[in-house]
Parts: sequence; structure tokens; C-alpha cells
Amino acid sequence: MNFELLTYPVVVAQFFVDGLGRGVMYGLMGMGLALIFGIMGLINFAHGAFFMVGTYLMYFVAVQLGVPFPIAIIAAAVGLFCIGAVLERTLISPLRKRMGENWLVDGYVMTIGLLIMLENLALIVMGPRDHGIARLVEGRTMISGIIVTYERVVVFVVAILVVLGLAAFMRYTNIGRAIRATSEHPDAAMAMGIDIRKIYTITFALGSALIGGVGGLLLSTYPAFPTIGSDVLLKSFIVVIVGGLGNVWAAMVAGILLGLIESYAQGIAASGWQNSIIAAVVVAVLVFRPAGLFSKSVSRP
Amino acid sequence: MKISSLWGYLGAGLALLVLLLVPPLADNHYITAVFVSVLLFFILAALFDFMLGYLNIFNFGMGGFMALGAYTSGLLTHHFGISPWIGLLAGGCSTLLLGLFAGVITLRLRGIYIGLTTLFLAEFVLFALSNLREYTRGAAGLQVSTFPDLFGISFGRGDPLSLYYLLFVICVVIYASLHFLVRSRVGLVFKAIRDDQLGTSVLGFNVVRYKLLNFAVASFFTGVVGAFYGNYIGILVPTTQEFGISRTTEILTIAYVGGRGTLWGSLLGAFALIGLQEGFRVIDEWRLVLYGAFLVFVLMVFPQGLAGAVKQLAGWVEARFTGSAQQEDPEQKASTGPAQDGPEVTPKLPDRKVP
Repeated sequence: MNFELLTYPVVVAQFFVDGLGRGVMYGLMGMGLALIFGIMGLINFAHGAFFMVGTYLMYFVAVQLGVPFPIAIIAAAVGLFCIGAVLERTLISPLRKRMGENWLVDGYVMTIGLLIMLENLALIVMGPRDHGIARLVEGRTMISGIIVTYERVVVFVVAILVVLGLAAFMRYTNIGRAIRATSEHPDAAMAMGIDIRKIYTITFALGSALIGGVGGLLLSTYPAFPTIGSDVLLKSFIVVIVGGLGNVWAAMVAGILLGLIESYAQGIAASGWQNSIIAAVVVAVLVFRPAGLFSKSVSRP
Repeated sequence: MKISSLWGYLGAGLALLVLLLVPPLADNHYITAVFVSVLLFFILAALFDFMLGYLNIFNFGMGGFMALGAYTSGLLTHHFGISPWIGLLAGGCSTLLLGLFAGVITLRLRGIYIGLTTLFLAEFVLFALSNLREYTRGAAGLQVSTFPDLFGISFGRGDPLSLYYLLFVICVVIYASLHFLVRSRVGLVFKAIRDDQLGTSVLGFNVVRYKLLNFAVASFFTGVVGAFYGNYIGILVPTTQEFGISRTTEILTIAYVGGRGTLWGSLLGAFALIGLQEGFRVIDEWRLVLYGAFLVFVLMVFPQGLAGAVKQLAGWVEARFTGSAQQEDPEQKASTGPAQDGPEVTPKLPDRKVP
């Protein structure tokens, strides 16, 4: 432990900016997972694998085809939307139909199967090599001694836009309202004429699209690699658990919190231990506040 | 004697015969190594299934639990010169403590929370093991000494057959204990809790206590197997492939492919998947894709796993023998997994043939 660094205000501010930048990324990663869990109750273990597919799509569209980055990111998101929709329809929907109430355990084992398949297919097709870009946006600036890269700013702005966009989508569109109704009470939603099977497909596809787009956005930080997803999956889990399972907005806050903790922990403690500390924090949250750190109730689910 | 139980004895006898005789007859280090991994994965999957298939406890920390057992044994022998034979028990005991801790803090929660808590506890153990470099040597790997001779039999790594038989004995002991527990009154309570937790607690059974018992037994044995595994491979490295999510995923796949709620199904699963892995060595990289595809396939078409398929076959043959479909075996009904609405295992054959 070495607290000496934290006596300099500039260093503290720099850690804050780094942590914020990192935390926004974690928040973005967690949102898709939280969305799918919140609406469908399904823990998507293939979440990290979807991220990986997103990074590869981004690499191909942006680097091989030379399409501008913003369009390439959207292409990655659209690609994952289609993949998610097809997988939900062919694999997850029949499972839910057959198993009734108890489909969830089999559901997440199913996504584990998907994860194994996708990762190893990527390993065969792409090989164990990094495919990445140097940076999304060139340049950086110095604000009173604190270095801020423009890329961080772009990611931050995109994160805010995604959060606001998703909130608006959920609140003001008919599909968004239907999704919220389905998550609250599937039977009542069905009685109101909502095709909940379609809603589940859309939700899964939307969650996949979110993580695919995030994969594209973060290609410079997380270069495409077959097993890049396992780290992303773990980070998403942490964010989603700390924020409360299924709470999309809290996932973003929890992500920023995690980023800040990591940033400061790296500054004061030997590297490596922050992983153990964060794992312990996650267990503590699961035990003492299973509904999330920011939940009002402390009831055990 | 009822034919279905005859089938059970026949199958068990056949399995024992194959497991006992094939490695020495083949007298080939490769075959022995394959059989060792079959047995290891069989017993780990059976332990996983003992929790999942009987109480719906999703232990996502199997890999980390194994790691704790392996490292307890390894560190004790490395730093204190304690015999690896005692290390086996010590590994079991330390993992039992971890299991009790995990159980006390999680078993009141709903299924997915148990899974996530055990996952992160295991991650914590793994991270801690790789960070405590002064003791565990971290990623550099911890050397584990071999078992000393016992009754004049050498258990060195040059004698894979004696190690294999040691593992065989461990597996038989564990399997017999689990089988006994599942068949006893306690096992009935397990199944009752699985099928209706609230109803069972209303009957006056302390649900959490039964869950804790199940979890503790499984954790202890996982630690013992982990300690054996450490001695078998000789060097411990805290990687995800060895002791992390990947390992847990493999165990889970085998348990699922074998069939949930049937301990012996895990043996079929282990034989099928390890056989698949070894058989497809030629197209090395594709085998893991097949692994995943196999898992998805089983979930889609065969939710009862290979055990369900075998039961279906046995039921079919039995129906042929006796002329009509017999009454369903209650055990079979109970072991088709947690309250599934899936297709019934026993096929309903038509009473008479169409003229």
C-alpha cells in the first residue's frame, strides 16, 4: 500500500478521469446483460462471446472494407441484432416453450454451449491473433495538467447517448412499453394482446445488439481475439450484480463505480490484488444486498 | 426380480468390468490417461449433479473448489512435508469449510444467486492463489510431490496404473456415499425440496439445513478429488483452464450430457465427451466446437441426457420382454430432473399391433 501518490491533487484528478473512462466502458458492457436478465430472467453467458463477435465485425467492416468508424459500429450492432434474434428463435424460444417455468437453468446452460461454440469457432476461423485498431479518434488534450484523450470523450458521450436513447425507447415507443409490460407481468401482457414471444426475441436481439455495438466501439481498447469475451463477461457480471440484477441504469452507475475503484486501487496497491478485492466486494453485495447496491429494499429474493 | 433393477445391476457390473479391466489389458499409458480423465470428470460431474439434479443448487465454483483442495494438499506437502495421503483429507476439509461458508451465506437465496455467489467465491480463491506468490509461486506453478508407497505399492507418476486404481477406489467410495445418501430418507427429502421447496418446509423439514448438508458433502468430495488431481498432474497453476470457469463448464457439460438427476448418467457423459475429445484429436481444434454443439443439441432434443436415452431403451426392451409396457418405475419418475414438462422417458407403446 502506498498512499503517497494520492497527496497530489493532479494525480487524484487523473485517476478520477481514467477511472471514469474505464467505468463508462464497464457500464456499457453490463447494459446488454442487464437488459436481457431484467426482461427475460436469463443470464446470458454468451454475452462475452457476442462482444467478441462484435469486435470482429467491427474489424472487418472498418479495416477490411474501409467503412468509416461510426457506420462500422452500427453495422456491428445490426449484425449482432440479427444473430441474437436468430439464436433466440431457434434455440432459446423452443426451450422456454418446452420447459415452462423451469427453463431458466437450462437456458443459461444453453448460453454456455453457445459460448463454447462461438469462442472456438473464432479460434479456428481467425486464429489466436489480435485484430485491432490503434485508436478510434486521434488526439488528446491537457486540461490543467490532466491528460484526456479524445477517444475517452467519445466513448463517454456515446455512453450517455446510449443510456438516454434506451431510456427514451423504453418509455416512449410502443415496443418499449410492451417490453416493460412483459417484464413486469408476462401473463397480463399477453392478455393485453402483446405477443410476448416476439417481445422476448426483440429483447434478446436488442441486448445482443447493445453488446455488439459496444464491442465495435471499444475495439481499440479490446482488440478482437477469440477469448476476449471472458474478461468482458466477468466485468459485465460484476457490474450487473453490484447494480442489481436486471437494472439497466444502475449497471451504468455500478460500472463507473467499478472503474473508479480499479483506477484508485491500481494507484495505491500492488497490481493483481484488486481482482481479489473486487470479487470479495461482489460476494458481499450478493449476500448483503442481493437486489443491488442501490436498491431501497434489503429483502432477499 | 424386477427387470429394471436387473438392468441396473447389469449396467453397473459392465461399467465396473470395463473400468477395472480395460486399462491393465490395454497396458498403454495413453489409454490409462484417458481412463483417468474419464473417472475424474465422471466423479466431478456426479458431484455437480448431486447438487444440481437433486436440490437445484447451481455450483458455479466447482473449478475454484477443486483448486482449493489441490492447493491445500500441495502447500501442506510442499511447505510442511505432510504426507500427500493426509493431504487428500486436508484438501477435502479445507474445501468443506469453503463449502460451509458459501452454503451459509447463499443457500437462502434463489437459484441464480447461488450460482453467481459460488462463481465469484471461486474467482476470489483463484485470484488469491495466483496473488500469494510467496507461497503458491503463482503462475510459475507449484510442484506437488508424489504419493509415497503404501503397502509396498508404488504410486509414483511412473506407475499410472496404480494411480488409476487409487482414483478408482476414491470414485467408488464417493459414488457409494452419494448413492447411499440419495437412496436414503435424506435423499427423499432432497427430492421433495427440489420439487416443492415451500411444501417441504411446511412439512417441518429444515430446508436450509438439508441444502447445507448436500452442499457440504459435495464440497468435501470435490476437495478430495481436487487434491488427487493436483498430485496426479504434479504441478499446480491457477489458470482458468485448469481451475476456473472453463473447468466448471466442462464438468457442467458432462453432467448435462449424461443426464440430470441420475448420478450414473455422468459416467455415460464422461465416456461420451472424453471419447469424443480423444477420437477427434485428428481435427483437434474442432473438438471444443463439437463440445458446445453437443451441449446445445442435448438441451434441445434430449433434455434427459444420455441416461434418459438409456432408460428409454431399457424400457423399450422391457416392454418387448413382458409383452406390455410395465408400470413406471417410481425412481425413474423421480429422477427425470426438476419438474420438467418434457417428453416422458418411457415411450408408450401401442397395446396391440395394427392388423
